[in-house]
Amino acid sequence: MRYDSVIIGGGLSGLVCGLRLVQAGKRCAIISSGQSALHFSSGSFDLLSALPDGEAVTSPVEGVKVLAEQNEEHPYVKMGVERFAALAAEAVATLQGAGVEVEGDVAKNHYRLTPMGTLKPTWLTLSGYVRSESAEALPYKSVLLLNAEGFLDFYAQFISDELRKTGTTCRICNFNLPALEIIRNNPTEMRSANIARIFDNEQAVEALSQIISREAGECEAVLLPAFLGIERGDVLARLQERCGRTIRVVATLPPSVPGVRTQIALRKAFERAGGVYMLGDTALGFEESEGRITKIYTQNHGNIAIEADDFVLATGSYFSQGLVAKREGVVEPLFGSDVCQSESRGEWYERDLFTAQPFEKFGVRSDASLRILRGGKAVENLYVIGAGLAGFNPVKEGCGAGVSMLSAVYVSDNILKK
Amino acid sequence: MTKEYDVIIIGGGATGAGVARDCALRGIKPLLVERFDIATGATGRNHGLLHSGARYAVNDHESAEECIRENMILRRIASHCVDETGGLFISLPEDGLEFQKKFIESCLSAGIYAEAIDPKEALLLEPSANPALIGAVKVPDGSVDPFRLTTANIIDAKLHGAEVLTYHEVEELIMEQGRVVGVKVLDRKSGERKEIRSRIVVNAGGIWGHNIAKKAGVTINMLPAKGSLLIFGHRVNNVVLNRCRKPADADILVPGDTISLIGTTSSKVLFDEVDNMYVTADEVDLLLREGAMLAPSLLHTRILRAYAGVRPLVASDDDPSGRSVSRGIVVLDHATRDGVEGFITITGGKLMTYRLMGEWTTDLICKKLAVDAKCTTAERPLPGSSPQKREQTSRKIHAVPTMQRESSLYRHGDMAERVETSTSAKRSLVCECEEVSVGEVEYAINALEVNNLVDLRRRTRVGMGTCQGELCACRAAGLMAEHGKYCTRRAKQDLASFLNERWKGMAPVAWGDTLRESEFTMWLYDGVCGLTTKKEEEK
Amino acid sequence: MIVKENSKNNFEQCIKCTVCTVYCPVAAVNPLYPGPKQAGPDGERLRLKRPEFYDEALKYCLNCKRCEVACPSNVRIGDIIQTARINHSKSKPGLREFTLANTDLVGSVATLAAPVVNATVGLKPVKAIMDKVVGIDHRRIFPKYSQGTFEGWMRKQRKAQSTFEKQVAYFHGCYVNYNNPPLGQAFVRVMNALGYGVQLLDKEKCCGVALISNGFIKQARRQAEVNVRSIRTAVLEKQLPVLATSSTCTFTLRDEYPHLLGVDNHDVRDEVELAVRYIYRLVQQGAKLPFKADAPKIRVAYHTPCHMEKLGWSSYSIELLKMIPSVEVTVLNSQCCGIAGTYGFKKENYETSQAIGEGLFRQIEASGCDYVVTDCETCKWQIEMSTSKRVLHPLEVLAQAL
Repeated sequence: MRYDSVIIGGGLSGLVCGLRLVQAGKRCAIISSGQSALHFSSGSFDLLSALPDGEAVTSPVEGVKVLAEQNEEHPYVKMGVERFAALAAEAVATLQGAGVEVEGDVAKNHYRLTPMGTLKPTWLTLSGYVRSESAEALPYKSVLLLNAEGFLDFYAQFISDELRKTGTTCRICNFNLPALEIIRNNPTEMRSANIARIFDNEQAVEALSQIISREAGECEAVLLPAFLGIERGDVLARLQERCGRTIRVVATLPPSVPGVRTQIALRKAFERAGGVYMLGDTALGFEESEGRITKIYTQNHGNIAIEADDFVLATGSYFSQGLVAKREGVVEPLFGSDVCQSESRGEWYERDLFTAQPFEKFGVRSDASLRILRGGKAVENLYVIGAGLAGFNPVKEGCGAGVSMLSAVYVSDNILKK
Repeated sequence: MTKEYDVIIIGGGATGAGVARDCALRGIKPLLVERFDIATGATGRNHGLLHSGARYAVNDHESAEECIRENMILRRIASHCVDETGGLFISLPEDGLEFQKKFIESCLSAGIYAEAIDPKEALLLEPSANPALIGAVKVPDGSVDPFRLTTANIIDAKLHGAEVLTYHEVEELIMEQGRVVGVKVLDRKSGERKEIRSRIVVNAGGIWGHNIAKKAGVTINMLPAKGSLLIFGHRVNNVVLNRCRKPADADILVPGDTISLIGTTSSKVLFDEVDNMYVTADEVDLLLREGAMLAPSLLHTRILRAYAGVRPLVASDDDPSGRSVSRGIVVLDHATRDGVEGFITITGGKLMTYRLMGEWTTDLICKKLAVDAKCTTAERPLPGSSPQKREQTSRKIHAVPTMQRESSLYRHGDMAERVETSTSAKRSLVCECEEVSVGEVEYAINALEVNNLVDLRRRTRVGMGTCQGELCACRAAGLMAEHGKYCTRRAKQDLASFLNERWKGMAPVAWGDTLRESEFTMWLYDGVCGLTTKKEEEK
Repeated sequence: MIVKENSKNNFEQCIKCTVCTVYCPVAAVNPLYPGPKQAGPDGERLRLKRPEFYDEALKYCLNCKRCEVACPSNVRIGDIIQTARINHSKSKPGLREFTLANTDLVGSVATLAAPVVNATVGLKPVKAIMDKVVGIDHRRIFPKYSQGTFEGWMRKQRKAQSTFEKQVAYFHGCYVNYNNPPLGQAFVRVMNALGYGVQLLDKEKCCGVALISNGFIKQARRQAEVNVRSIRTAVLEKQLPVLATSSTCTFTLRDEYPHLLGVDNHDVRDEVELAVRYIYRLVQQGAKLPFKADAPKIRVAYHTPCHMEKLGWSSYSIELLKMIPSVEVTVLNSQCCGIAGTYGFKKENYETSQAIGEGLFRQIEASGCDYVVTDCETCKWQIEMSTSKRVLHPLEVLAQAL
């Protein structure tokens, strides 16, 4: 099999990169070893929320300039602080083009509501999610928090108590539907994705809209866990239309239904544009010649190699096994890329789970074009994008999704420029 | 206003609980005070091995005899806490077979059934055992769950009139005319201080008993010895594996509930370290290296966590150097030993002999209080351990899905009937790895004195499975708040500290899948949920 | 790349991310099924503690392996569940299971009296008996048996086929043999057009997929051993690749044998492949398929069977279809049709089976295609019964265009 470009890893980064390549007319394949971390999405995409020293960032475009002073190895700095805003704009355009509707501003972070009820800065938020321009409070004086009875992955009291502190009054109401009774009979499957499936059915949407109309009273907005429809994307709009009210969703524990929908939307857009997405396949080996990767071999395709001009590694960090931590050290298992890491295992960790963990900054070394270094030398046609990159802390710096998408745009540009 | 008890027992480990139960059954009114939760000290930080006594047979005949006697008693009275797995002492080529002969003789003379079996038969019995073994001896080892055992003793003690105050720390002993007459405690939850009086105070504080004794001006020579262990992700072995040689580091592999445990290391630590111990990378490497000698597959098995406990080793009174150490039971009547009336220390011993320690201590209490009552703890089954009632319970909850039903029965024995299972909402699972339902969590919250998520874990195994609380901790915290255990602000703090408590054990072994799991947990709680530790909130 | 394939502890790679539960077609419609995470890695850990933790509800797993495809941790969830069934299930297979599982025995009897059998199983009273007594749902339409087997036809072809210098061996499977010899004939035609002669294996037994799912493990193992022996003769002695037209047979021969039955095939596994993959490779290497210029234009919608999804090979079928000038191809969203071999025939599974397939059926009706194309025979039965479309195999489409 021959393609112009092959991307290994089919999550947010791989899909954004692949989409831009196919849209530019490249024949492109994505090899994805299972589903991606989008399945645990908060519903928002962070760009830059804090600097390595912990200082909060309100404007990512401004913050990135200071970031350059604190960490020159940060992927944003490598890609060029001056290109930051343009790359971000391209990323947004790619999402929108795939039908993933997001709202946000590269010059000013807004705030998303966490399942704990706190407000957290972010860059883009999927439309339909509750968000606020202010770090202090939601834009509503009173809300109704509606939860499905017996849904344990969303605890409304956490949210209502926090909101009350910020001056938003909350009423909590649990609702029930006949269809919920059925899935509740399964002790483990009363989870977001299965509830979401109920709302693929118009009857359930209708029933919920009646509950909302009955319960919402004077509340300015109605908040629900993000479990409205797996196949259908119009459930929220439908409910708002039927109830004539502002209705918003809040993130749940995994699986993240809007995350699943985002993954599906990006994959479909990629396939519609002619891309080939190989799910459940794992790249196992490769051949190289004169400083270039020529082909890779996968588990499913066995002796039929996949050849390409360019290869992009988008296999993520530990979770997705783009990085593998062994007792002796961290490796990038496919190409044996150079990995930036601390010397001994004792230095990988901090004792408080909630402080910046050194191992999060480990990753694949690359040059200024994000070409992978092996034995200190850049491979001419092999790039790394996304969570596998070295030099940043996705959670603490609030930049995981940003690094994934911006590096994807940056590398696709580099490939297209050739 | 102060209330008077016959006995105040300091320390909520297995020993303290055993003393409390024995006292209560003999009509003596005890109060048990514990500064944290039950079974937080050495009780919950060992192998959970139901010793046959074989390990001590060669060097310590007396301990071996105690062990096998108590072993047989626990099988009877604590059947829902015990797993009768059987045990093997295997000889590897480097060990030779010389020790085996002496070992079997010593076992038999201590009354421990020990039979040499063919290496092939041993491998059939326990396929994970090192195939290089040249000999094996079958002994009646098993495993015992220290949390369940302590809980069951507490439940029974309370049923017979004992009172229990957890999260109450003894700050001072009340002394009047050279006699201990009560304790001054700090309620760690409310911050309140109070005095409680009793005719006798029992010091069952394990290694912390050293400091408690000091408060009465009494010195006990204790040597804190740290022992580290590793927990593997599943049951690697179904039969306890020991090395047939002179006892050494990391030579016992115990299947305990859903997991297997290898341990221990042994090193001296200072008293000021015993409250917060970390397992070092060297200890982990040693445990793995030695563990793989027992069962080679350990090298490829996911390690869930590492932890360490402190043994309260007591130096003999007649050896001021502290070098001669006893592993046996030590009951100190401070009246005769130090001239301090009304004060008893019970220490030494091991989890296996907690009941006997309770019996001896209560005998002494009875003597002092002139109570004439016989010990019955060797005959009376603990709550949850009645075989007939277990059958009834099993039938009663037949409609509950298999894995959940069996887990509940395994954990609570016949007390599983107290877990509400009548509606689908109650059967909904909080912890999917260990099959802990909403009903079971509610039972623990309402009936088993749970104050936080770590307590809940000890009662139910929430968060003890493969994911170490990744998905269940949040659900459980929600339920705790809903049932008024605390406000949502404290619920979130508790959630963060629970995850940190889990991380403490994971960090020493965080590579491979364990690191993947931790990264996922961080994304979820730090990322999606925006949870922070209090320290950072203040910043 | 390091992919941990330590099969014994594979379940430990599960980090409880719950992705598999999102893609399980059964859990979505049947609350009695514990779901892949519980039934698989979670349950395995408990079953290792004590076998009593085995839950008979694992029988609801239809072994589609979509959980495995979705899993980001390479956990062989489906294998774990099926192995647990094999090791622990106490329910004994009955007459119904025997009838459904022994596709070759039943097939060889039925083909002898095909018109009678075909007419009889379609009769209302017979359906009622099958439903009430045997437990096969009365709403099911049975696949028709052919008059005469494919093997019989091939015997007559032996001489003609031997004239080709290049040869392949064909694992035709029960369906081609007893129900649809024309598919096998289409395969032979395509191979001949590419310059290859086709021969049968020395001895072919049913691949055993239905035996496995109905609990006849010993028999499945015996048949697997016969097949692997025949495949070894073809591959190692005669140097022939072994091709099959059924995605499920292929998957079973390659992966279920070692994973579920413990039948070692490592020395020949890579030489057993789907015909579409082999043909795709020939075309890539320059072989030409002589398509007719005047073939009627058709629009087809490709459905990816579950085991094709697991094999990761649907792109071979799709790419081949795209090469045919007269064919316009759309690809349906990959989702389970609900039949899962004999699963959907059982009375207790009928509702689940149809509910699983519902989304796919809607998609098919809305696609505006002339035909559905798929590599799996049981998907064909389900789709033909549940939609208005006829279903073809990619090789039938190819053969028609030659």
